[in-house]
Amino acid sequence: MVVLRAGLCPGLTEEMIQVLRANGVRTVVDFVSSDLEDVSQKCSLSYKALVAVRRVLLAQFSAFPANGADLYEELKSSTAILPTRSPSLDQLLDSGLYTGEVTELMGAPGSGKTQVCLSIAASVSLGLKQHVLFLDSTGGFTASRLYQMLQAQAEDEEEQLEALQRIQVARVFDVYEMLSALQEVRDRLSQQAVSCTGPLKTVLIDSVSAVIHPLLGGRQSEGLAIMMQLARELKMLAKEFSLAVVVTNQVTRDSSTGLLKPALGRSWSFVPSTRVLLESKGAPWEEVTTRRSASLAKSPRQPTGMQVELDIGNSDVQEPSPATPTEGL
Amino acid sequence: MQRAVGSLPLGPALRARLAAAGFQTAQELLDTGPCGLSREIGISKEEALEALQVVRQECSGDAARTAGGAGTTRKCTALELLEEEQAQGFIITFCSALDNILGGGVQLTKITEVCGAPGVGKTQLCMQLAVDVQIPECFGGVCGEAVFIDTEGSFMVDRVADIAAACVQHCQLIAETHQEEDHQKALETFSLESILSHIYYFRCRDYIELLAQVYLLPDFLSEHSKVRLVVIDGIAFPFRHDFEDLSLRTRLLNGLAQQLIIIANDHKSAVVLTNQMTTRIGQSQSTLVPALGESWGHAATVRLIFHWDKSQRLATLYKSPSQKESTIPYTITPHGFRDVQPPAVTQNTESTEMNPRKRPRREEEK
Repeated sequence: MVVLRAGLCPGLTEEMIQVLRANGVRTVVDFVSSDLEDVSQKCSLSYKALVAVRRVLLAQFSAFPANGADLYEELKSSTAILPTRSPSLDQLLDSGLYTGEVTELMGAPGSGKTQVCLSIAASVSLGLKQHVLFLDSTGGFTASRLYQMLQAQAEDEEEQLEALQRIQVARVFDVYEMLSALQEVRDRLSQQAVSCTGPLKTVLIDSVSAVIHPLLGGRQSEGLAIMMQLARELKMLAKEFSLAVVVTNQVTRDSSTGLLKPALGRSWSFVPSTRVLLESKGAPWEEVTTRRSASLAKSPRQPTGMQVELDIGNSDVQEPSPATPTEGL
Repeated sequence: MQRAVGSLPLGPALRARLAAAGFQTAQELLDTGPCGLSREIGISKEEALEALQVVRQECSGDAARTAGGAGTTRKCTALELLEEEQAQGFIITFCSALDNILGGGVQLTKITEVCGAPGVGKTQLCMQLAVDVQIPECFGGVCGEAVFIDTEGSFMVDRVADIAAACVQHCQLIAETHQEEDHQKALETFSLESILSHIYYFRCRDYIELLAQVYLLPDFLSEHSKVRLVVIDGIAFPFRHDFEDLSLRTRLLNGLAQQLIIIANDHKSAVVLTNQMTTRIGQSQSTLVPALGESWGHAATVRLIFHWDKSQRLATLYKSPSQKESTIPYTITPHGFRDVQPPAVTQNTESTEMNPRKRPRREEEK
């Protein structure tokens, strides 16, 4: 809803705007959808001038339809698939993280979401030599654990230190700070400042529900508005700059059925294109285990319900050695 | 600045009016100026001026960060964070098994939650940590002060005095076995009176007082910059009784958690919370789970669960970003929180985990 302003296009002068406003035409939408003959009579403006202005406004503000074949070519050239170095997780995600999409990891506390995020950061930085941005909102980012993972994957200390330098960590504990951080990424990428970011391909956010959950609920729709703003920022970043965005989400208990469901509600469930649920095998703290099961809850490419096993063990996120990944539907 | 108006920290009514008037980016707002803004939306000039100041602050913050300036963001590379973490100390608990599974002790800049049934030793651990945070650096401590927020009224000063006296005695023994100057100097200031005077005690009776105290804490901490530990003993108690609206409780708890993590991060201190246990009734059996619901489980970075096994107290590390899950036994003695002693050994062999920064010292038995 853009307001008509002088200088939006040649031929739109201040007096014209005042006269139009007096007759109830304030925004571009009002102008373009009104009957121009009517308007020219009421405002005593020249019909030809109005038609010319409308043509320019339409050219400026309307979206152009694109050819499906062109879209496909563009997708082929701009999308990349980032492997996560864990074969079972790659199998679940259809060979890796797709750029241009938002992927979500959800799970109960202690189910391994931060570990999987750290291992993705380590593999992208070390294996693909690309920059990673990690937005930490829970304080769970431990650099020593990341270093442990890098040490397991590469022998050379130089490589490990370089990989550490390619991972940028920003601690944002408030939703506005998170929005500023994302805005900053957008500014830097659009200016193509190569100095500190380098080829940024992955943005990891751990976790997005920690900053939004305090705002949701009650009778205020404020939280929902901010959540959708954040969703829009993430999707724009992913699509415009071909980034792979990974977010983590919490689970809450459904009051009526008693089952676990992802936090942030229905509106958020439309934002990520792929959703992976992490669960720990075995009862709470009676048996200690590092095995987790990851199941696909939503995916545009794979059948949902696929399940694999992960071991967030001492060195790496890897599939457990003797067992084969199980598929369940 | 192409920052969308919806993402600026303005009030909801103001935001709705801006959207209705057709403003989309922050730059448009700044271009219009306060008089034009107040005319277009229909708010007073003072309100327009305030709103523009907020917008300008946000945008200048963005610009500073884009240009590579420091700003107020906590942004750095993983390598710098690693160096920071390795230089950071831990708060030891005097129970070496527990320190081992925690990776050296209670970590600074993280929230640690201790859950357990009544009487298992949560408040004892809190009191032990309030004393241990003050151990001077030459003995392997972080030499800080402590803030103790009590909601249940279980803080017993004479017990803390006993724990402190045992800790001072322990350090004196170390100083006698390794004759070094800095030990003697540190011991002069490390006495029972100084320990007790550096524990700042707050008593909160209901959840409103607790929330207010936590929101006032940053100011307190900037005045007392040596504080390295904030203990909230009994975070479940004010939120469990007398609360009808459960969704409000979840929102308040999540907001509290974010506030605490900001405090932990900005002031480089450890935050320790204690939680109660509740019963979850399942189909065939019922289990004890930590109270305050599922979403509270995400608030703490490290979670310890204390439980009984017949007459032995056990501690399980349930959630940690860097350590494996494991269970160890511990015990509570008149001196405080300690390891379980193996039966055939002489007295006075508490082996504390020395700080890895210092060169390893072997404690000789007396």
